Amino acid sequence: MYFLQILTLAVSVTLHTSTPPHLQRFRRMQSAQQRCLRPWRLVVSNVVSNFSVCSSRDLGRLPHHEQIFRELDPKGARFISTQVVRNRMKSVKNIQKITKAMKMVAASKLRAVQQRTENSRGLWQPFTALLGDNPSTDVKKNVIVTISSDKGLCGGINSTSVKMSKALYKLNAGPEKEVKYVVLGEKAKAQFVRDSKKAIEISITELQKYPLNYTQVSVLADDILKNVEYDALRIVFNKFQSVVQFIPTVATILSPEVVEREAEAGGKLGDLDSYEIEGGETKGEILQNLAEFQFSCTMFNGVLENACSELGARMSAMDSSSRNAGDMLDRLTLTYNRTRQASITTELIEIISGASALTG
Amino acid sequence: MASNAAVPFWRSAGMTYITYSNICANLVRNCLKEPYKSEALAREKVHFSVAKWLDGKPQKPTVRSDTPEE
Repeated sequence: MYFLQILTLAVSVTLHTSTPPHLQRFRRMQSAQQRCLRPWRLVVSNVVSNFSVCSSRDLGRLPHHEQIFRELDPKGARFISTQVVRNRMKSVKNIQKITKAMKMVAASKLRAVQQRTENSRGLWQPFTALLGDNPSTDVKKNVIVTISSDKGLCGGINSTSVKMSKALYKLNAGPEKEVKYVVLGEKAKAQFVRDSKKAIEISITELQKYPLNYTQVSVLADDILKNVEYDALRIVFNKFQSVVQFIPTVATILSPEVVEREAEAGGKLGDLDSYEIEGGETKGEILQNLAEFQFSCTMFNGVLENACSELGARMSAMDSSSRNAGDMLDRLTLTYNRTRQASITTELIEIISGASALTG
Repeated sequence: MASNAAVPFWRSAGMTYITYSNICANLVRNCLKEPYKSEALAREKVHFSVAKWLDGKPQKPTVRSDTPEE
């Protein structure tokens, strides 16, 4: 209201008296300055346009380039508008609300998933104790299973698993060797399509419609096993360490034939022969069952670890983006207030100088 | 020696150990008493969509789901 009052006052002063020439010049100079300095000058609030100071009658007296400017202006543009800044402040505030809400959602989901993830680690540990982890085994048919999320806004976890997978690809590629990708999740798929879509064998999405469970992942693992030929499956996922730390991890599952070959060569797998096999199954059958079950268990853990990392990453990403929105809002508020104050000051100067011109 | 004889049967039927163990697990779940039974069965829902790729192009995805599409 204060703004409006001053404005009407200023206008009535300027209209009722024939404006002295020095004031006209002063005002023209000022508006030219504003034109150069303020990018948001073009948008003018309604309040100002009701009181046209520089009407079309005056246009004839202005220099040509100024006339063009004036025609572009909405009628009666005189003051710098703060509307653009105000709109921007509003949108930043809304974005901040959204990111805060997303953070809360991720935080509450994380707790349940973290519990399940930590429990699921017990599934692969016996396998690693028995067979060991053999990431360096050199085999012909490699299948890289990249686990990623379906949704974005979760920091860099998807790109780290994609980078890791591509590095593994390069490590294992070679003449007479075959490397294929099996991609879980929309995000990794989108990244692979860019430069290595020829190598994609299967892509799987919509994994997290229901809470992750073992049956689901085992059916999925079964699907993968039936559709690819492999000597080694390398599962890439982000292992959940803490809410802010995720370790890109590779778990290697060897096919029964490779396990037998490696066992003969000795090493950790050589110890397998010291186990006694009960029942009528042969060693080959046991190893095949083991490899399949190991794959589904490791997949289950990998999928859970990755889901957990996703939520953690989303939490910290959303936290920092709400903080950034807050910073931005502070800066905008400062600009807004300064501009408002400046226009008030200008008006006061005009009134005072107008008045002094009358008396003096 | 029942399990001994069973091995070749499910394997020759084209099942993997995972399928076999899932069938067994489901059998056990069905043996639970009522409040626990439906709880355990509801927990294990399957839903995902698989697309095979040929020459860098995805084929039509198939949805594996045990709940019908809404």
